[in-house]
Amino acid sequence: MAGSAIGLGNFLRFPAKAAANGGGAFMIPYFISLLLIGLPLMWIEWTLGRYGGGFGHGTAPGIFHSISAKNRFIKYFGVIGIFGPLIIFIYYTYVESWSLAYSFFALTGKYAELSDQASLKSFLSGFQGIERNQFFQGIGAAYTFFLITFVLNIWVIYRGIRGGIERLCKWAMPLLFFCAIILVVRVLTLGAPSSLHPDWNISNGLGFLWNPDFSALKSAKVWLEAAGQILFTLSVGIGVILTYASYLKKDEDVVLSGVTAASTNEVAEVVLGGSIIIPAAFVFFGPTEIKTIATSGTFNLGFVTMPLVFGQMPWAEIFGFVWFFLLFLAGITSSVSLAQPVIAFMEDEFDINRKKAVWIFGIVSFIFCHAAIFFLKNGVVDELDFWGGTFFLVLFATIEVVLFSWVFGIDRAWDEMHKGAELRIPKIYKFIIKYVTPLFLFFILGMWFFQEWLPIIFLEKVPFVNQPYILATRIVLLLFFMALVFLVKISWDKKKLTKGTEN
Amino acid sequence: MKFEGWIFLILSWGLILGLTILCFQRVFLNKNKEDEK
Repeated sequence: MAGSAIGLGNFLRFPAKAAANGGGAFMIPYFISLLLIGLPLMWIEWTLGRYGGGFGHGTAPGIFHSISAKNRFIKYFGVIGIFGPLIIFIYYTYVESWSLAYSFFALTGKYAELSDQASLKSFLSGFQGIERNQFFQGIGAAYTFFLITFVLNIWVIYRGIRGGIERLCKWAMPLLFFCAIILVVRVLTLGAPSSLHPDWNISNGLGFLWNPDFSALKSAKVWLEAAGQILFTLSVGIGVILTYASYLKKDEDVVLSGVTAASTNEVAEVVLGGSIIIPAAFVFFGPTEIKTIATSGTFNLGFVTMPLVFGQMPWAEIFGFVWFFLLFLAGITSSVSLAQPVIAFMEDEFDINRKKAVWIFGIVSFIFCHAAIFFLKNGVVDELDFWGGTFFLVLFATIEVVLFSWVFGIDRAWDEMHKGAELRIPKIYKFIIKYVTPLFLFFILGMWFFQEWLPIIFLEKVPFVNQPYILATRIVLLLFFMALVFLVKISWDKKKLTKGTEN
Repeated sequence: MKFEGWIFLILSWGLILGLTILCFQRVFLNKNKEDEK
């Protein structure tokens, strides 16, 4: 489960969000969000998943239905738990393939001679097929690495949970931690590399992230960003944990499993992820430039700034390779999990065998991945990330917590959570799960509607030339969502016919 | 910018690492018990 949670978000998104929101100013809302929404949602998803698994359901529609079988509509809320991971998979695999490509480029020294932001940006744009330049004449290289990554993903998924995903995580996770520790040690021993700027040293780089700034507690934006990062990094509100937890036995300890997955993820994110990009970029670019770099986008930080940073160290090729290979490992252990809800949905609700389900998933996702590859420059990846990786994440988490504490009932939920658990969750969490977590999530959604709803819906921030692409993406997403709703309906209608009564 | 947040860093790292070690210790203990059964 930790393999699913530890992903690109830990090493790229977290440092970018933290740096863009003022470093230390970000960490207080981040930890409060972890305690008030991250941990409760972890327990909720583990418990709901295990509970639904007992009724033979491994995905959100069936799991929600098992909470309240009398309610005919409850299962349709669960469609988001299949739709979200599928959308994320479509662009995530492509981004993951960049890290595989860059680890190859690092070893072969393809970008070794580039020593400024502009040329590395141009290198990245050429690779992504956004522009033709001296580095790349088309999207061929990016497409090749995408194919390798995609086939690798499908192969692991095809081999099953035990023989594929678990086996991959068994060697990939220790290797990932090993790569991260090498980089942390390298970064923390950088000292002050520039004699012109003795203040740009590693100690002050850590200060940028860890000097607490209590004034930030008043900023709604920082709270929203921090809470969003917690949901994204723990992979809650996606639907993946529900599916994994559905395979647990009735008396397996979900309290311990939830805390273990969350704390392992936080080690990777805060201890390791927070000690690589930010301090390294700080010592080479200083406190002002680091904010500009971070606000210019997550990918810039990982694929433009980091090669520059490593370029200024001895053994640049090795450290560059370790960095990008680390990203690739983090990416693949997450992407194989993103496929699981869709496959489990086909297996559980349509009795399709796993191999056939993987083929269907592979063909459908392969077709849709092309939108991310060929229309990246038109903002399609950002659009998919917004709906799949941001908006639906918060919405689904809100639905889950409301169903868990108010429909399932907090007393029943509390007992279910503690079945087979050696640890007792502090009683205060009964109050937090019932009132604080839903209110916190409603606040995030409310703030989003208040601040962003109209500009996003009316494409105010989208350049005119990209508007048709974004509109087309939204239409396809809507059709996709409706198709999933229809499939849920068909599946339940079929069950009604075969069993005479609802399952 | 001076680094004044040592305590914040040490507390956060300590709590996260400590909790993770304790959790894994419990997980392995449970696994051993299961295996013995």
